[in-house]
Amino acid sequence: MRWTPLLLAGLLGASSPPSPAGEWKAVLDLAGGELRFGLRMERNGGGLRGALCNGAKCDQLSAVRQRGDSLVLEMADYAATIGVVIKGDSLTGVYRNVGNRGPRVIPLRASRGRWPAARGPETLLGRWDATYLQDWGTSPRVFQFRNGPAGLEGTVISNTGDYGHFAGQVAGDSFALAHFDGSFVYLLTGVLRGDTLRGVFHAGLRTQTPWIAVRSTGAPHLKPPAEITQADTAAPFRFSFPDLDGKIVSERDPRFRGKVVLVDIFGTWCPTCHDAAPALVRLYRRYHGQGLEIVGLAYEVTGDPDVDRRQVRRYRAKFDIPFPLLLAGINDTDAAAATLPQLRGFTSFPTSIFLGRDGKVRRVHAGFYGPATGAQHERLLRDFEREIERLLLSR
Amino acid sequence: MRSARGWCIALAAVVYGGSPLVGQQAGAAAAHERTEYVAWLTGAPNSPLAAIAQQPIGPGMRLGPADSDVPLEGVDEHRVREQAGAVSLEGPGGRRLLPRGRPVTFGRYTLSVGGPTGRSVLTVFGASPGGKPPEHYPRDPRAVFVGPLAPPARSGTVRVLAVDGVEVEAAEAGSVAVPIGGTSVRLTVRRIPTAGGEESELEIFFRDATNGDGTYPAGRFVSLLPQGAGMYLLDFNRARNPFCAYSSAYPCPAPWRGNTIAAPLRAGERYAGGGLAAPAGLEAR
Repeated sequence: MRWTPLLLAGLLGASSPPSPAGEWKAVLDLAGGELRFGLRMERNGGGLRGALCNGAKCDQLSAVRQRGDSLVLEMADYAATIGVVIKGDSLTGVYRNVGNRGPRVIPLRASRGRWPAARGPETLLGRWDATYLQDWGTSPRVFQFRNGPAGLEGTVISNTGDYGHFAGQVAGDSFALAHFDGSFVYLLTGVLRGDTLRGVFHAGLRTQTPWIAVRSTGAPHLKPPAEITQADTAAPFRFSFPDLDGKIVSERDPRFRGKVVLVDIFGTWCPTCHDAAPALVRLYRRYHGQGLEIVGLAYEVTGDPDVDRRQVRRYRAKFDIPFPLLLAGINDTDAAAATLPQLRGFTSFPTSIFLGRDGKVRRVHAGFYGPATGAQHERLLRDFEREIERLLLSR
Repeated sequence: MRSARGWCIALAAVVYGGSPLVGQQAGAAAAHERTEYVAWLTGAPNSPLAAIAQQPIGPGMRLGPADSDVPLEGVDEHRVREQAGAVSLEGPGGRRLLPRGRPVTFGRYTLSVGGPTGRSVLTVFGASPGGKPPEHYPRDPRAVFVGPLAPPARSGTVRVLAVDGVEVEAAEAGSVAVPIGGTSVRLTVRRIPTAGGEESELEIFFRDATNGDGTYPAGRFVSLLPQGAGMYLLDFNRARNPFCAYSSAYPCPAPWRGNTIAAPLRAGERYAGGGLAAPAGLEAR
């Protein structure tokens, strides 16, 4: 066996990376089906540029970068990328973007070519009044289908607007229309049976909503957004709970009469409440002589009064809390809502309720910025001080 | 599986709608998801480790100067408004829309709008994620379950805080009965919508006996993953902290009634800092 110089072997083994230039039939593999879209890439000077296509509608990618067989397609507006490995005539990788609650990652594959254009049958075209069948009930949508240069296309309209351009495939009475723009990942699949359309609306990797649609009669099908619930500030705020010695304390207690009261809804299990406690103690020490009272309503874990009382006592000792702490209940939103019926839409710990001297709610502040937030913390403290000073001056 | 309607541990190969899914594959998927999540937490511009403020936009809010709603050093006065569902940022350089659910660079800060239309919430992030990256328990295959979702006792929506501290209208999706610690634990499942789109996740906000003693005191979130044919995967190795564990810019979600697991679930994300120890009564159960 003859030896080969290492450098020569390296040269012989080296090959230029495959070119991604051309059209690609791409697929996002959702949990409930394939979302098909197109990719186009071409040489641009020494680099590459590309576009993402839903049918005939294409949007330019912000950048295409290749290093060896790795390819990154950027959609900067959406903080999204497609990262794939190119091998012969296939691309394999993921679509990834920066969600509010974590990364959003969906498997992606592609092969060379263009998805065939397929025109939809006349029976499918036009406007449909759809009803989404969701966990909590139904909600209306409108579908509009037409034939375009790349075959069947359309859009989905909700109470708050449309979801952009959909394009896709038709096979007999079945269709699959997709909208993928680097942020929204939508796939509408359905089948026509008689006069009725039935199908599933896929959103993102996992969400699947069944729907049913009938031909639009022209009557309004969509509705304006629901009214937003407002806080009840008309009646004096009422509470009545045992303190840590078992004595019932209510807003009618003489210590609260004619005073400005800050009601602190907290839990010893809640770290943000731990951030709030020292600030509330400082407020109390500063303004108590001028007429401020603070009362803490504890919503605890076990519902066992002995265990919860012990826990709240530890909390009181830890922060040297001089104002009363009451055992209000267990720490779920339904329970809190049931014990404080005037507080609508309660969702977070801590929540601070500012009461005027007449006992009526003047302000509800959900959450608390702790010292780690720096300027926000200082800002919130000044805000609380101003609110208290304003209420102390009012009669 | 113990019964057609019961939940079981997904230790071995389990058939979902005719397609075999081996436990190891589920483990690999969860490991990949965890890697992506840790990378997001430690590097994303909107990582909760970088959050410095979160506030409802309400009738409008000011950013920048020291006396504004959200003071931001070195930033001229800007106003954020929500009109007809669209949130805009207006300042000396003009006006631009803040798309819901997408981070937007704002000088050396990042802005992100979440929450439902009419109750939008702005979160402001600093220059780079700080704080400790998350730690996890080693993967425990006994903490993976498959089974059906029972319908809710009453349908409807309830306002809760999502993992990111934003108030959402969550739909009652039903419940799962999972065998943990020698007993069947029924856990409420809610569908949590995302900002600005049609996406949602089936989520369980639960407490267990490790809270305050290895895991976050307020409880943790875990997603229920549809597997087809009416079956779901519940993998507590995917359990993660609410964002108030990373920054007090976020309010803490109130735990969901009944979603308390008496046994310790040493799987998923851990928590090393802050808070009181779990109540003695909880530890004893």
